[in-house]
Order: sequence, then structure tokens, then C-alpha cells
Amino acid sequence: MKKVLLLGASGQIAPNIIPDMESHCDFTLADIKPYPDGRPIEHVDMRQYDQVRDAMQGMDAVMNFTVNRPDPILSFHVSTLGALHVMKAAAELGIKKVVHTGPQLVRSYYDQDFEITDVPRAPGTGYYGITKMLSYEICRTYARTYDIQTICFVFNGLGLEPSEPIKGEDFPPFRIFWKDLAHACCLALDIESVPDNYQEFNMVSMTAHQKYTMEKARRILGYEPAERWENYYKRDV
Amino acid sequence: MNVLITGAESRLGQAIARELAPGHRLRLWGTGDPPSEQDENITYFEGDMRDPDVAWRAVRNMQAIIYTGEPPPNLPEDDLACEQELLDLATRGTHVLFKAGIDAGIKRFVYGSTLQIFESYPDDVYISEMWRPMPSTDKFHLTRYLGEMTAREFARDFPVAVTVLRLGKLIAEEDASPQDPDLMWVDYRDAARAFRLSLNRDAQSELKWNNRFALHHICADIPNPKYLVGKISGFQLRGFQPQHNFEAIWRGGGA
Repeated sequence: MKKVLLLGASGQIAPNIIPDMESHCDFTLADIKPYPDGRPIEHVDMRQYDQVRDAMQGMDAVMNFTVNRPDPILSFHVSTLGALHVMKAAAELGIKKVVHTGPQLVRSYYDQDFEITDVPRAPGTGYYGITKMLSYEICRTYARTYDIQTICFVFNGLGLEPSEPIKGEDFPPFRIFWKDLAHACCLALDIESVPDNYQEFNMVSMTAHQKYTMEKARRILGYEPAERWENYYKRDV
Repeated sequence: MNVLITGAESRLGQAIARELAPGHRLRLWGTGDPPSEQDENITYFEGDMRDPDVAWRAVRNMQAIIYTGEPPPNLPEDDLACEQELLDLATRGTHVLFKAGIDAGIKRFVYGSTLQIFESYPDDVYISEMWRPMPSTDKFHLTRYLGEMTAREFARDFPVAVTVLRLGKLIAEEDASPQDPDLMWVDYRDAARAFRLSLNRDAQSELKWNNRFALHHICADIPNPKYLVGKISGFQLRGFQPQHNFEAIWRGGGA
């Protein structure tokens, strides 16, 4: 079983996917705040290289779910400098697998388009978008230089999968459910390599709009949503 | 025009100041000693650009910002601390400075990046502005590139003209050694001229963001160049022609 360091373990995403992944990998959870159910975590401040590197010692892979969205200083130090620390430590320690995460930076630009795959990044100057965009470029550069297989999952919306029919609502165009994301993370940890050592994947659970495709995640990772979730959003006829 | 120049203590900063001094009022931002001769059109400024209050004072009453991208002289000796400082200056520093410029109503921004982000390409290709940068993890190259990406986003979001100059390896022609010719050489004076010409770009009113943004490769005009300057339609820096082309070395059989 792979030993995986999960950075940002107490954030808005990780606690929702950890339960579905624990049979697949041996997690060490790290964050600067307590885990929701009180289980032990390692204190790792992404701004401190020594803390990041020490936590990564002996790991087979690292998953980086850290982010600071709104703060003019912390956003650069957590999202951008933190990504540099992870990739630098991976290079130093010989860790060959990193799962990075961040926002899909341009979803609303393409609301009038269809069959959308990878689109040029256009983060603008907002702290969240620009600092994560810079982190992607750092990951790409280190992945290429040190043969670190780096899978970057990009999100627009995340949430709990539906369990009963939802009436009078359409589904969001770019949403991944926890169950599917956990599955995608397992695939990312298992895959031997990705083209050019670095690939970004749109994380979506529903594609019936024919808007954002999951073609690349399907082709490279073998990703499939657990169910055809669109069927929960059916109108009675 | 009132122009703020960062990295003014660097050799590039000094060359830009000399190039602009005849026709502009300059505010030189740097940590070095001001020259002994005083010029009423030149003022000096010090402070950390990552401090929004400092940046705001620096940009007040300016009409253009030239961010040379040159590293400051007082970098930490420790390698990791140096890298962290360079990253923070290039990304957050650029963001704070340009944001202050936006708030102050400045319409023209020029950022000095580096052609060294193409060094990993083999020498049998012609590198124009169309190629994807492939920086190494070298702290000076990667951070400069990330600064360039930060600068670009301001042209996307605001009605301002942002010009990025990817400069070759800076050197004075008279100091160039025939034993070690470099395809990426550019003379300081030519680089400074490129910065001056960039101030002429009047693109802030363009509706499309990519017309407000410009990207130019700047290096010497040598025989059989790897790095092409002004050869791609739409990427020429109007009026730019390198004057220092290391002819004694490249054409004189020195290379």
C-alpha cells in the first residue's frame, strides 16, 4: 500500500474523500488546523520548507490540497511558495508522484461553448486564480526537470453525490462528486506515468450538457464517474 | 513622461535611466547610492515593493512603470532563502506594484523577463515568441518567468498596456569575449532602447486583452541566430533594431 502524505487534510475537500481512499493508501494527514473529527494530523505549514520536506520523508506520493484564496500575502505563500516547496522536496527526496489541485480558471468564459477540453488559463489578477496558476507552472517545470509524475486536478465545483431524484433543477456544468474524486485520486496514485510528466485534468462527474468533457481523464487515467449522475436530475413526463 | 524604474541600482537599470533621461522625468527605485551629479528630472526612491503603502508612494504621479526584473543586490546568502525571496519579489512583488499602478491610473507597464527560459531547447531550432517557454528550475530563470506571467494578467483584467521584454544575456559589447560567444547576448544599451520603445505602445484602449499585451524577444542581431528578433508578424517592437551585434566576434571569425 502506497504511503501518501496529504497536505491540506483538514480543508474543504480532503475530509470528504479520505474515507473512500483509506483502503487504497496509507495516509499521513497534514495541515495547520485540526482535522474535523479530531483524528491526529501532522502540523505542516506550507510556508516552511523544512516542515514540508520533513513530512514528505519516506512517502511514495504527495497530494497537495492546500490553498489560501483571499489573502494578499498568504495566497502567494501557501498556494505558490507552498507548491514550490512540495516540488523541491519531491526532487530532493526522490518522490516521483505528486497530485496537485486547484481551480479551473476560466469556466464562465466558455459558458456559451461546447465540447470543451483543456482551455488556455486566464486567471486574471484575483489572488486565488493567479497564485494557483503560478503553482501549476512551478509543478510543470519541476515535473519536467526531475521526472516527477504530476497529476493536477482542476475543479470548479465539488460536493456530495445525489442520493435521490432532484426535481426542478439542472445540474452544474463543472462539478465533481466526492465519490468520483476519490476514485480519480486513486487512479492518479496508481498510474505509472503521464505524458510530459505533468497533466491537468478537468474533474467533472456529469457531461450531459456536452460542455466540459472528461475525455482526457478517461483516456489517460481511465477515469469514469461511478454512476450516470445526470439521471438524478430527470423531469417527470 | 514620468517613469518609475525598479532595480535602478542594477547595470540594466542604469542603462535604462541613461536612455530615458533626455526626454523623461524619472523616479529611480533601488538601494544603491544616488549618483553624485544631481539632475532635477531624476528622483530616487527606496523601500520594499511588496509593501502596498511603499508601492503606492512609489507610483504616485507616475505615468509608466518599468519593472526591470533585475534581482536586488542584497539577496540572502542562503540558497533556499534567496530562492524564496526571488519568488516572492517576482510574483507578489509584481502583483503589489502593478496593482498600485492600476490604482494610480498608470496605463503603461513594462516587465523585464529573460530569454534564458528557452535555454533547454536544442540549438537547431529558431526560437521566436511563438515557442512555449521551458524554464529550468534555476531560481533566477523560473522566478523571472513567473513574474512575466503575473504581469500578463494585468493586461487581461485592466485597460492598460503591458509589455514583456524577454532579454538575452546582458553584456556590454566591449566586454564580450571571443572565446565564449553566446547566441543569447544582448548589449545593455540595446536592451535599454527596447524599454524606451516599449513606452511608446499606446495599446491601453484596445478592446481585446491580447492587443493590450505585447511580448518581445530582445537580443543581438547575429548571423544564423537561434533567437529571432522581430521576425514574427505582430511581435515586432516598433523601431527596434539592435545596434550592438558583436560583429567583431561573430563576423570576424571569433566564433
